[in-house]
Amino acid sequence: MGDRHPHPRVASRRVTPTSVGSLTFGLDDDRVSPPERPVSALRRRLDGRYPRDPFGLDPHLQDLVSPLFGLIARVEVEGGDHIPARGPGLLVSNRGLGLMEPAVLGITVRRERGRRLRIVGTPDMPVLGDALRALGGIPAYPDDVAALLRAGHLAAVPLGPTWLRTGVGTPPLELVLAATGFPVLPVAVAPGGPLGLPVRPWRVKVGEAIVTPGDPDDPLEAAELAEAARAGVRDLLRAHFPPG
Amino acid sequence: MRVLVTGMGGELGTRVAQVLEERDDIDEIVGVDFVPPRRRLRRSEFHRIDPLERERLADFVTTLAPDAVVHVGVYEPYARLDPRGAQQYTEACTVTALGAAARAGKLRRIVVRSGVEIYGRGRGRAAVPDEHAAAAPTTAFGHSCLQVEAIASAVGRAQHAPVTAVRLAPVVGSHVPSPLGRLLRLPLVPVPALADPAFALVSPEDASRALVAALGRDHDGPLNVVGPGAASPWQAVRLGGRVPFPVLAAGWQVAYRMVELAGAPIPSHVAELLAKGRAADGARALEVLGLGRLRSTLEICVELFEWATVTHIRASQAAA
Repeated sequence: MGDRHPHPRVASRRVTPTSVGSLTFGLDDDRVSPPERPVSALRRRLDGRYPRDPFGLDPHLQDLVSPLFGLIARVEVEGGDHIPARGPGLLVSNRGLGLMEPAVLGITVRRERGRRLRIVGTPDMPVLGDALRALGGIPAYPDDVAALLRAGHLAAVPLGPTWLRTGVGTPPLELVLAATGFPVLPVAVAPGGPLGLPVRPWRVKVGEAIVTPGDPDDPLEAAELAEAARAGVRDLLRAHFPPG
Repeated sequence: MRVLVTGMGGELGTRVAQVLEERDDIDEIVGVDFVPPRRRLRRSEFHRIDPLERERLADFVTTLAPDAVVHVGVYEPYARLDPRGAQQYTEACTVTALGAAARAGKLRRIVVRSGVEIYGRGRGRAAVPDEHAAAAPTTAFGHSCLQVEAIASAVGRAQHAPVTAVRLAPVVGSHVPSPLGRLLRLPLVPVPALADPAFALVSPEDASRALVAALGRDHDGPLNVVGPGAASPWQAVRLGGRVPFPVLAAGWQVAYRMVELAGAPIPSHVAELLAKGRAADGARALEVLGLGRLRSTLEICVELFEWATVTHIRASQAAA
């Protein structure tokens, strides 16, 4: 309906937690569920009695697979109480190779708050993309990030990669623009060993939330928010994980 | 207020008329379609006019001179008509009814039934678009919806009448003739072997409530109406106790023929839904229309397979 019906770029900053609805078969798309016996889990899969959310997350499958990541990566967390216990939030973190960091952040949020974390940056492709979506990934589309936050979820967006871990990368401006008006948390992640090998535990430091008034049509505000998030991650890295 | 409901013979159109009948501010409800309404209506007036009889439909609407049009005459392929027929009927009904209503000169409100198929599922498109996302349909039904919105917008602009395009998720219910519902109720249902994408639905009750609620607001623009949550093809099939049949690549051509023979042909927008999923962000509609709680996609899936128990009564009881 084009030009005749202009409306704000992002409809509203009001959180409308409607992503799953009332029939959830005892599972939640935001809160982690207690472990289930293998037989009942298998029966649940076969009968289709599990929720899905519109972004593709399969909470039951995520609960089944997540303990495996816990075996691969040990994680030490500081500042976990900064993560919202409920409601939306965007975690902005540094990354090296970018393979283990999403799993480490997911473990952090599950352990500290018992919530699920959506990782932004899933490749939009058949098979692999679908599988990662089922585990909580979403492609890096601003509309999807905004919709996810409006639905009251936690999401994680990485800064640009710094493969030699010599600092922090550039912030993804369009994605941060989608998060204006929602809490943005800088997070520093330090690997457990060279090339992310699990020699020692991974270390995660969560900073205090940055909250902006939230005008989604103001690119200056988005740029300032992105820069504040980048500076927040840089300061956490310098203070808690100095090089060497 | 005198309201014209196009497509009143369909499940959605009949329900819209029923909801309108509950409103005291609506003085007169007049419907047209090529088939009669699916339920008894108390104070609605129905006229059986085939949209392809353009002159007859135009004369009728011009004489009626409605204050508002709820345009539900947007026909989904393989719901009741084949894809070509659905496209023809949609185009004829939209152009003729809205054009004639505009010519009558009293039109001050337009609500059109559209679909989230309008966003398309091409590469680089958000999985859960909100109303600001550009319309880029990738299926015939999506293009039909885009055409309906464009025509309604042009008519609204000429008449200075606000136009609300209610973009519905696939409307599925146990009594709704829909290609997706029919497919899911087959005993053996083809599903993608390597993907299980999420799709969202809306119930016919919520869809009709949304269309009528839009009539009472002055919102000018599109609104997504989507049931909370989602389901996947495998999951929906299993919830109904049906057997999913994994299909890969060229196997789909065979699967299409088989389900067509079984009475459940798959139009392009349903094929796309099975392969890539379909959802949209419906938060704005909840806010603008004040709809309250909508039935969730999983509830709709479960209800799709629920049928009332058939009670056999003896002839003597029936006669009594």
